Amino acid sequence: MPRQKQSKPPAAGLATKTLILDNGAHTIKAGYSLLNATSPPSLDNCHVIPNTIARSQRDKRTYVGSELDECQDFGELAFKRPVEKGFLVNWESEKAIWEHEFFNAGNTGLQCEAPEETNLILTEALSAPIALQRHCDEMVFEEFGFGNYWRAVAPSLSAYGASPFKGDAERPMGTPMECAIVVDVGYSHTTTTPLFQGKPLHSACRRLEIGGKTLTNQLKDLVSMRQFELRKEDWMANQIKEDVCFVSQNFEQDLERVWKGGSKDPRVVDHSIVVDYVLPDYESIKRGFARPHDPSFNARKRQLGIGGPREDLVVLANERFTVPELVFTPSDIGMQSEGLVGTILQSLEALPKGLWQAFLANVVVVGGTSRLPGFVERLEADLRTKLPEEYAVRVGLPEDPVKHAWTGGARLAQNEEAMKQLVVSKQEYMENGDVWVRRKFAGKLGR
Amino acid sequence: MAEGPLRFRTPHIEEIPTTHSRHQPGFAWVTVKKDAADPSKAAFEVAGKKRARTTGLGQTEAQREALSARQQREIERRIRDLNSDNARDVNIPIPKQTSGGSGGAKAGKTSNTKKILSSGKEFKHYLDDEEAELARTGKIDGLERDPDAAVAQPVQRATKMPIARRIQREQSSMSGSPGPATLAHGLTLPFEPGAGTGDEEHDFDAVPRLPTMEEMQALVDAPPLTYNAARSAPGPASAPPARVFCQTCGYWGRFKCLKCGERTCSVECEAVHVADRCLKFYA
Repeated sequence: MPRQKQSKPPAAGLATKTLILDNGAHTIKAGYSLLNATSPPSLDNCHVIPNTIARSQRDKRTYVGSELDECQDFGELAFKRPVEKGFLVNWESEKAIWEHEFFNAGNTGLQCEAPEETNLILTEALSAPIALQRHCDEMVFEEFGFGNYWRAVAPSLSAYGASPFKGDAERPMGTPMECAIVVDVGYSHTTTTPLFQGKPLHSACRRLEIGGKTLTNQLKDLVSMRQFELRKEDWMANQIKEDVCFVSQNFEQDLERVWKGGSKDPRVVDHSIVVDYVLPDYESIKRGFARPHDPSFNARKRQLGIGGPREDLVVLANERFTVPELVFTPSDIGMQSEGLVGTILQSLEALPKGLWQAFLANVVVVGGTSRLPGFVERLEADLRTKLPEEYAVRVGLPEDPVKHAWTGGARLAQNEEAMKQLVVSKQEYMENGDVWVRRKFAGKLGR
Repeated sequence: MAEGPLRFRTPHIEEIPTTHSRHQPGFAWVTVKKDAADPSKAAFEVAGKKRARTTGLGQTEAQREALSARQQREIERRIRDLNSDNARDVNIPIPKQTSGGSGGAKAGKTSNTKKILSSGKEFKHYLDDEEAELARTGKIDGLERDPDAAVAQPVQRATKMPIARRIQREQSSMSGSPGPATLAHGLTLPFEPGAGTGDEEHDFDAVPRLPTMEEMQALVDAPPLTYNAARSAPGPASAPPARVFCQTCGYWGRFKCLKCGERTCSVECEAVHVADRCLKFYA
């Protein structure tokens, strides 16, 4: 492929409209941003779409992407996800979802009328296999025909987002944080990515293979084994997790508080932690909900359907905090990796000591699992105890940790100069080929 | 059953003893040694002498090894299940597009995209391809990847190895981190005072100096780690042992079932375990 054209500016020029597509394993975060817009992008422009094709055995219907909102009965719903372990693998189903959301969308506000006049910022996971990157580039240009395109590592977009720390000066649009460690607690796994001026320091990136789905599956297993068969109810287990799970600040103490005691030395269980979770039957109860635990005899009778309609409920006590604890202590399920705090320290170890302070003062936590109550407090406290006193540690949770990478991309897409340096146009791809595009996105060209 | 013959056919498969390989023949409950301070557990310490006598009886070395390897496989399988996207293998056909699009879901516009869309590969296939290429050429996509990362792979992949042995190996190589140390890129460690230029802080001995711009450039330019090398490494050997929990109620797993090795916290929970969940009828 001709190498002399490397420094040529994009021939077609940037389009004004940019589609920012944070293609997560659980949900797509997508929305448009306009070049040189004056106001910062609003979170309302970001649509969260389930990145899945779901099949219900009950009403024999297949739900694609956002159609899942219409679903009335989530019982025994089976999911097919195009993104596997964080990497976009199955393009067949991803194409069906994208076409449903962006090309046949109708009035969802996400319709992409002219892809050739749209810039695309698409996210990928860290250390993706080359074959997958090539597939991604080929599909974007050849199948969907976007005009300009940047494939970004998802946490690097977070560096462009608004600072989660109060008192930090507001940066202009499209300027990344100088130094930051982005802790992305996602659906498939948790990654720690040190970023210097928006660029990931690859040799220091680490991945902990515990994510939101690990927690959901663990909760599902525990409840199924101890109380109520949930093994087919992925959706329900996920809702229970989101509704009642929290990260304990003092694990040992909380565990003692909810122990019933032995047969000879019964203890009083602290009912402030125990909750009853009423499971939905998708007829009278559409969505499950939690309520304070009722240990009385009447409650048990109701559970059996005596004196009123029968309701299925599970009593959740230590499940509420032992499940999210896996992020901090993966050895609880026998995984040999270090916990999240250890993983962050491994990232730091790979960096020069002189930089530690700069990174430790900017630990940004993003991803859906970080919305569990107490997550950030626990992370900050644990990180604090593992580090010498002279380091100042700041852990920040953005306004919306799920949409934060999208916001960063949207802010970046308002800055013409920054965008021009990053994107590859379709014409450049056609002229220079896929290897050149990969080298450009890896930062090996054009600097 | 399969362990015996398999072992002789493939000598490079290691069968490994675990650290906690105390397997009893199966009569008594055993306390977990961890916290003797708890008065509620003190009574069980009496069993110590008796236990010492019965330890190792009825089980040969090979049986014990097979058991620990089986437990290890069990743990791995469980982690794989927990990290699987869907508990069941389901085949969901992709619905036909109602309007627009380029024909059916499988039809691509160019030969490249046709191939991609009809590919039934999963992530593990891509990963294996890339590992194979790295092992063969030492490069991925024409770019040199760090040889250290390639070397680190077998250590990372051999999760069958028990914790104690893995840690020894890693310590003997170079560090607790699986990825290449930054030194591998020819960077100088920024510890020697006064070696750098353009930093204000190196006059304090305690404060490590900031790296120079060239060092930063090298860090930014470092190629991505491979998938396996980026995985978080096991903790140091001095880390506290893994916590165990009661299978029935989730409290600390203070006692071990002598038949199957599961943990329970109290006599009540043990009764539930034996009645419903103990997977071994005969020990």
